[in-house]
Amino acid sequence: MIELTINGIKVQTPPKTTILQAALANGIYIPHLCWDRRLTPYGGCRLCLVEVEGQKKLFAACSSPAENNMVVHTETPKLEKARKTVLELLLVHHPLDCPICDKAGECELQELAFKYGPAESRFAAERKHDPESLAAPLIERNPNRCILCGKCVRVCREHQGVGAINLLGRGFKSKVSPAFEETLDCEFCGQCVDACPVGALGTKPFRYRSRVWFLEDKENICPYCGVGCTTTLSLREGKIVRARGIDGTGINEGDLCPRGRFGFDYIESEHRLTTPLIRKEGNLQPATWEEALGYISERLSEIKSRFGAETIGAIGSERCSVEDNYMLKKFMDALGSKNIDSRAHFGYGKISEALKKAFNIRALPVELNAPLKADVLFVLESDLTSTHPIYGLKVLAAKRDLGATLLVADPKQTKLARWATRWMRIKPATGAALVNGIMKAMLDEGIYDKKAEGTHGFDALKEALAKYTPEKVSEITGISADEIRNAAKTLASARNPMLFASIGSSENTKGTGTMLALMDLCLLLGRGPEALGLPAEFADTLGMLEAGVRPEGGLNVEDMLYRPNLRALYIMGENPAVTFPDAAKAEEVLKGIEFLVVQDILLTETAQMAHVVLPAASWAEKEGFFVGATGKPQKFIKCLPETGSSMPDWQILRNLGRLMQLDMGAKDEEGLDAEIANHLSLCFREQAAASFVPVEQAEMEMPDSGHPLILATGILMQHSGSLTTISKNISSAIADAYIQVNPRDAKTYGVVDEKFTKITAKDGASIYVKAKVTDEVPEGMLFVPAHFAHARVNLLTKPSANGEAPTVAVKIEGA
Amino acid sequence: MLSEEERKEIEAEAGQYDRKEAGSVEALKVVQRHRGWVSDEAIRDISAALDMTPDELDAVATFYSFIFRREVGRNLILVCDSVACYVMGYQGVLDSIKEKLGIDLGGTTEDRRFTLLPISCLGQCDKAPAIMINEDIYGNLGPEMLDSILSRYK
Ligand code: SF4
Ligand code: SF4
Ligand code: SF4
Ligand code: FES
Ligand code: FES
Repeated sequence: MIELTINGIKVQTPPKTTILQAALANGIYIPHLCWDRRLTPYGGCRLCLVEVEGQKKLFAACSSPAENNMVVHTETPKLEKARKTVLELLLVHHPLDCPICDKAGECELQELAFKYGPAESRFAAERKHDPESLAAPLIERNPNRCILCGKCVRVCREHQGVGAINLLGRGFKSKVSPAFEETLDCEFCGQCVDACPVGALGTKPFRYRSRVWFLEDKENICPYCGVGCTTTLSLREGKIVRARGIDGTGINEGDLCPRGRFGFDYIESEHRLTTPLIRKEGNLQPATWEEALGYISERLSEIKSRFGAETIGAIGSERCSVEDNYMLKKFMDALGSKNIDSRAHFGYGKISEALKKAFNIRALPVELNAPLKADVLFVLESDLTSTHPIYGLKVLAAKRDLGATLLVADPKQTKLARWATRWMRIKPATGAALVNGIMKAMLDEGIYDKKAEGTHGFDALKEALAKYTPEKVSEITGISADEIRNAAKTLASARNPMLFASIGSSENTKGTGTMLALMDLCLLLGRGPEALGLPAEFADTLGMLEAGVRPEGGLNVEDMLYRPNLRALYIMGENPAVTFPDAAKAEEVLKGIEFLVVQDILLTETAQMAHVVLPAASWAEKEGFFVGATGKPQKFIKCLPETGSSMPDWQILRNLGRLMQLDMGAKDEEGLDAEIANHLSLCFREQAAASFVPVEQAEMEMPDSGHPLILATGILMQHSGSLTTISKNISSAIADAYIQVNPRDAKTYGVVDEKFTKITAKDGASIYVKAKVTDEVPEGMLFVPAHFAHARVNLLTKPSANGEAPTVAVKIEGA
Repeated sequence: MLSEEERKEIEAEAGQYDRKEAGSVEALKVVQRHRGWVSDEAIRDISAALDMTPDELDAVATFYSFIFRREVGRNLILVCDSVACYVMGYQGVLDSIKEKLGIDLGGTTEDRRFTLLPISCLGQCDKAPAIMINEDIYGNLGPEMLDSILSRYK
């Protein structure tokens, strides 16, 4: 530790920290406008000036290292004068339009001017009068208010790894802009807006909505992915008007992705359900809760007594709270049916399956900051900065800020691939083969951890890998044998390697086998599950699984939705007709079900087929717990009243259970939470008994001359399932599905950028989507996001019988 | 698209540094040498060759006055407007050039023969007022000398 004196107080600070960091950490405030904890010091604004005894010059605290025995003063008449002058200069060109600036009231420049002012300017100068840039979605720019601190530029580039904006021009004319002063077209994370100390950047949905002092801020947990970020909602007159990340708040410490920052408005959708609906004479008609629940109770009892409880099934939701899922499970138990599952079957369920085999655990929470401690990071066919944006940023930071080696194996040029130390552009869905090849190379060269020899299954692994010589794997994956050997060496020489992958339920290039291969590699490196980063997909994926929504001894979603096994099905917060693979088949089975209940916040495509539809309260209209990828229960709170007569899912189920005279346990929320707490604390405590489980590269549907391309489906950073497609904010940035096509394939098949394209699978199913010609995808591969209902992407996909990657071979034509 | 030659020269420049982007100014100069100016498209191409994003390179390019982001004429007239020249007759020289060529500062003649730009001190204060055309310096100027000077540039 370094010891120095600031304002007469002795303070300690770790080596390699600056005077500013030492001061802030010890509760001493030094004004600063261009410094940001996440970024390299810039020293641009000169507000953080301090005096150091024995030195003539003033020091910029943000960029001067703290040294032993330094004596620093932060408040002296000399500094006061210097800061006043700096502010005076900053204000020379500033428009002073605080009365109409959305930032007023939380603007750092305004606050400093208040503290050091009132500055009477000794300078006469031109004020800036550039037009505002309002053409881009979501983000507005007002260059006149910009103080050129460069924070936005640096956050975008250094922290987000994007680089969409920069300071163009010089001197008076400098302004923050995308290249060529074009319209901003970026990830729309909005991180630059939170970073801006003044009102030069803003979010459009908040433009002129409210003066900040009328807002009420509430911290809530983001309802989207498994990271579980805290998003600070600002409320005005019963509406959420904006969401921000506040530095240091939540496990995300203030970072947010586009979904968490802009996706909050989905709850205001005009399609929200406000009352229960019952199908009468073929149409869904409004009904009271008594009627609806009475009817459900009657029909379920009847089906149970005539055909048995085993003909009744339920589907839970990775987006509902732990309480909701727990109650659904309880309801099914009380009914006497074990048929309960969720969409996780197509996503995290595959990871869970692999974990069971390799480590005898069901779920593996991730530690958000673990990537920062790794020296070699290997990311397998996973677009982490899209699936789990804030977790992905940690992987990026390990490479960029801390100098770790980042190996990325992916056919797509993801953001991580762009920043990787080495990017192995494998063919789609060949991740398992690649990992097998890497392990084989490690065995051949004897560079694996010898502990592994004692691990159960080592000999079987050795035998199974015999045929995966780097040369053979090179044929399968399309990358050279040397690259494979190199990757093996890099991993083997790591002090602290970490292996990453995620499986989204709409992704079709990875399966249980891919995950098992990765776990084998982990064991061969002599590591345990702590070296794996396999984040669960949604806000409550782990909570839902632990609440018991998993098919133990009962039917899984494939049995329930792709085979006519059920007479009655209860769906909570899920829309299989759009989000499940092979949607046409699922729809057919759903239509054939005698009694379908759908409980949701909207009249989804699936709800439209139901016999009874129940309106559920959404996130922010109820409270509860989410257990996301980190495995930590996080409480989300109620900020708004329920829409119409909607109710939290768990209450609906409790009421229904009581009506049916089933034992539903806890009577109120507290009782319920106590019951769940008991239950949850068991969840990750199982013993890990590691064993190697060799896997083969899965057979895939192979492209042939008639259907020469592989179609990969997946996730965009801006979207999450189909939920975000009802957010007007998010849709203003990306509202439509598009299919990514490599320029060469585009040429071969006559596909034109931005034009509709027909994609046909082997079974003749086809869809029309707009094309985006880009070399982000390699030749021979197409990528389409699966979020958009109207694009019907899931007409082409298939569920897989064996948990493997159900890739689809397609043909494509310009249309 | 960068020409083969441009690409080679850029690679040679960038190859001198650990990080390719350190060669960005030189790379911009390479393209400017070949084409006279640097278009948006060229910025995209060069940035790709240097593993930079276009906005970063555009920031570098727009910082330097003598990286031209608009097309310029075949010959460049730079008129010094710093103190010594200013007091020694800058205005007369400038007005005369403007009149002869029919363009303002920042303008290019229709036949693309000349572009007229201001510049800071050329280090010729003892011979003020001074101008520079392409690589040639002219000092102790009077408006009457301009015809013969300009006629040397086609
Ligand atoms: S929104 Fe995000 S990606 Fe876009 S400019 Fe701002 S920081 Fe960069
Ligand atoms: S827009 Fe804001 S963050 Fe960006 S340079 Fe200007 S003042 Fe700084
Ligand atoms: S979607 Fe995920 S990464 Fe984005 S803000 Fe929400 S929890 Fe964080
Ligand atoms: S915070 Fe130190 S110079 Fe801006
Ligand atoms: S002032 Fe013109 S050359 Fe020095």
